[in-house]
Amino acid sequence: MPQRIMTAPLIIALPKGRILKEALPLLARIGIVPEPDFSNENSRKLTFETSRPDCQVIRVRSFDVATFVAFGAAQLGIAGNDVLMEFDFSEIYAPVDLGIGKCRLSVAQPDGLDPDLTRLSHVRVATKYPALTRRHFAARGLQAEVIKLNGAMELAPLVGLSSRIVDLVSTGKTLAENGLKEVEVIAEVTSRLIANRAAFKTDGRVVELVNAMRGLVERGDAAAA
Amino acid sequence: MNIPGLLPEGLRDSLPPQAQALASLVRTLTDVCGAHGYERVAPPLIEYESSLASGSSRERLRFTDPVSQQTLALRSDITGQVGRIAVTRLAQQARPLRLMYAGQVLRVRGDQLSPERERTQAGAELIGSDGPAAAAELLQLAIAALATAGVTGLSVDLTMPTLVADLAAAGWPLGRASLAQVQALLDGKDVGALKSLGADAFVPLIAAAGPAPAAIIALRQLDLPDAILARLDAIAALAAGLDGVAVTLDPTERHGFEYQTWLGFSLFGAGLAAELGRGGAYLVPRPDGTQEPAIGFSLYVDGLVDLGLGVELQRRILLPLGTPAAEAAALRGEGWITVAALDAETGAAALHCSHIWQSGQAVPA
Repeated sequence: MPQRIMTAPLIIALPKGRILKEALPLLARIGIVPEPDFSNENSRKLTFETSRPDCQVIRVRSFDVATFVAFGAAQLGIAGNDVLMEFDFSEIYAPVDLGIGKCRLSVAQPDGLDPDLTRLSHVRVATKYPALTRRHFAARGLQAEVIKLNGAMELAPLVGLSSRIVDLVSTGKTLAENGLKEVEVIAEVTSRLIANRAAFKTDGRVVELVNAMRGLVERGDAAAA
Repeated sequence: MNIPGLLPEGLRDSLPPQAQALASLVRTLTDVCGAHGYERVAPPLIEYESSLASGSSRERLRFTDPVSQQTLALRSDITGQVGRIAVTRLAQQARPLRLMYAGQVLRVRGDQLSPERERTQAGAELIGSDGPAAAAELLQLAIAALATAGVTGLSVDLTMPTLVADLAAAGWPLGRASLAQVQALLDGKDVGALKSLGADAFVPLIAAAGPAPAAIIALRQLDLPDAILARLDAIAALAAGLDGVAVTLDPTERHGFEYQTWLGFSLFGAGLAAELGRGGAYLVPRPDGTQEPAIGFSLYVDGLVDLGLGVELQRRILLPLGTPAAEAAALRGEGWITVAALDAETGAAALHCSHIWQSGQAVPA
């Protein structure tokens, strides 16, 4: 493991996609604005400078945000608790709930299927979250046969790949259009500011940014209340 | 399956110069502990599973002993073995008992973050006292050992492993969560999940984690029971007494400190992604069912090797065929590593030598 000196840039891992749009204004308010190229989907750059000289951002898939932060390759990141629950990394702290990217992680199944699970000993579930899905069903005495998919979860019950799915639901519109019904909410999902454990304890800039973001979110809470 | 060179997952060969660095670091760390009055013990690699008390049994590689037909296990931690020695074979020796150790440990599986299964553990344990004086001694010893090994930018994170359980016992509301859930969520500093389960009372503890003086001030502003305030005073004094290192306090961290009592600590090097060691106060179970207080620390030596520490830069000199043994011995006495040529053809470069011994002189190769 290379020794990272204290003057090394602070790296913040941000997820591609829907959460990014909501996250950027929050980061801007604590003084971190990525260079213009960051918002250019066609840019081949991998790391981006920000308005803060000692701070860079990287843009990765939402699941990879947790991995980069857990290994300390990025000191901070923004990730949903769906991703955190799936990995359950011991080296990640999630000290601030940003309250953005709100949705639910739910079990859904075709309209006609009996929602009663008590007589079953196993269920077949298609999901992006294999570990979390196994744990969820195991906790109620059900063995989940998990089929890992990377997208288009709604398709699985339609073509008989699985009877149920575990997926993120925001409005439920996609489910309804595909004849699926949300039968159980596993967790309410929001995005969290996450930090690497060792960086949180040894790099003063990490605690400082966490405190700044906490202050911002708490003032926002107070304003909303 | 027989693929030459393939090792099982999580195991690796240590080559030059890392293997030598590992040995040299173990010697440095144990020498520092020895100089502070800690005496070395060497428990066996394998014991009856039932007597390896510390750690979870799922962490250990187990098998049935063909001799006794009992379950044996490879140690995954040496601390528990040292405790066993202290309360059995050394039960009659005066307290406090200062012991130290170094050796290999093995766990049954690694994880994605730290895939290695075999590690070298070195540490020191003080048995018979776990008070503030003992804590200060052990912390200073751990810091001195790491500093002597060459670690720079050391930082110590102090934890209060039983705090959350004590606060719950004192009536802090857990909401809809169990104590174990609240402890797990605090380990992840998961503010969102704590609030969603109604355990809001514990949320301010997360904001209190950070550099020690500020963290202690933040904690004092919470409504803490007197017993915990007294413990906080001891921790504040401990933190103030640690010179030359950064000290942080994380009141709620419990992950990896499941067996510790009032105090736990982790040791970090500046900017390193993994901790260098950890320790804390704990209780050793005696055979009669009572418990003896103890405090100690463990260092993970492989991590120090990965940092490039422990490599001794010694000059290597090629001795041509026929160099008299007395000259070779004299060169070694001056600190050279001597490499004897076995034929006239082999050059200095092939043998990694910077110099050649020619006509009584060390000539750069």
